[in-house]
Amino acid sequence: MPDIETTAAAAANEGAATPIIEMSHVDKHYGQLHVLNDINLSVEKGEVLVLIGPSGSGKSTLCRTINRLETIDSGEIKIDGTPLPQEGRELAALRAEVGMVFQSFNLFAHKSILQNVTMGPIEVLHTPKAQAEEEAMELLRRVGVAEQANKVPAQLSGGQQQRVAIARSLAMHPKAMLFDEPTSALDPEMINEVLDVMVELAQEGMTMVVVTHEMNFARRVANRVVFMADGQIVEQAAPDEFFDHPKSERARDFLNSIKGH
Amino acid sequence: MGLQELLSTYGGMYGQALLVTWRMTVVSYLGAMALALIVTVARVSPIAPLRKLGDFYVQVFRNIPGVSLLIICVYALPNLRVVLDYEACVIVTTVLVASAFGSENFMSGINTIGVGQIEAARSIGLSFGQILRHVVIPQALRSAVLPMTNLLIAVMLTTALASQVPLDPPELTGLVSYINTRSVGGILPFFVSAVGYAGTAFLIGIVGNRIDKKVRILR
Repeated sequence: MPDIETTAAAAANEGAATPIIEMSHVDKHYGQLHVLNDINLSVEKGEVLVLIGPSGSGKSTLCRTINRLETIDSGEIKIDGTPLPQEGRELAALRAEVGMVFQSFNLFAHKSILQNVTMGPIEVLHTPKAQAEEEAMELLRRVGVAEQANKVPAQLSGGQQQRVAIARSLAMHPKAMLFDEPTSALDPEMINEVLDVMVELAQEGMTMVVVTHEMNFARRVANRVVFMADGQIVEQAAPDEFFDHPKSERARDFLNSIKGH
Repeated sequence: MGLQELLSTYGGMYGQALLVTWRMTVVSYLGAMALALIVTVARVSPIAPLRKLGDFYVQVFRNIPGVSLLIICVYALPNLRVVLDYEACVIVTTVLVASAFGSENFMSGINTIGVGQIEAARSIGLSFGQILRHVVIPQALRSAVLPMTNLLIAVMLTTALASQVPLDPPELTGLVSYINTRSVGGILPFFVSAVGYAGTAFLIGIVGNRIDKKVRILR
């Protein structure tokens, strides 16, 4: 995939360019549990960052703080140079710029597939309906579910629903996309159809943060793998380096425990 | 007095009484639904005092007998220089009680919507108002059709409170008292009114079921 490498390299060369996502000294507690412990992380434009780690390590929480579905106790998160607002219109506006794909798809159950995709553009970006529908159909074609446009979510398979969810996010022309275990709720035979769409997105240069257990995906697509445990970033490296020569004990244990999966 | 005599003497009044019951039912129900929606929005709003106020409203009006509210409306409010006519008092009472129950119906409708859908709506940048309008309320309405059908029937039966105040013309229950103070009707006048209530409730039930089948959300 020369595309990503060149984009990422270009991003790395421009030292002055603002990262799309920048987290500094982010802390969060759930009661006694220190779920995010002094997280410092930045994601450059066009970079695909894969977050892995044992369950309960804080990777999903980290992903969800980036568009403030989870609040943080201290530290700072910037999106494209702008600090994440606390609430209100400014927060909504910033959320619109960051797409999010959930483990459980979360399509709007009472809306058709097409309406699921057009709601954001029509309500938030004030795109005229006809144009929003045209763009939505194009996106649905891209993810391979255009024939289902007039059905409701419950009539689609999990893999199809997740691809619609990706199209719904893309319709907002996001600066970055967050994927919170996008294939964990899928039957095995549907995982690849979703991963394929994500690979394609990565190749087109989308900035992505992906929480996943799909190590092959991480190896193939990631520019950087970030390994988390106990709320901390334990190590981060390019995928080949991380998978072949993990530096920390924790990462070695983790990789051994998932071998053969 | 047989059924024939009862109907030939009071048939016209029964017709009128049924219309009064229907009118009060429709007006009260519309008022109750509107108020229930407002109370429910308060109960899910991001403003904590507003949520508390909404919960408090439901606790109060769900737990006070309609008759007590009616007495307050008829006898106490005039002391505050608020004088409503009798029918208005019955409607206000019914609206207050029914909106508390209606809000509970909406809340259980809202609870059927996964928090994930709301997070998804937030993450595409919808505001709180837009999430209510486009995601929460439509789904809550559609999954509340059957309980709201029951509420409509309950509202109709609650309007029988009007038999406790002098209404002219009377509604179905009030008419029974009217007839029985004039002639010895016994149980029969009650029976005729009951047919009016039960027939209406039956129709409401059929329509409610049809609407539910049509708008139910596939999950």
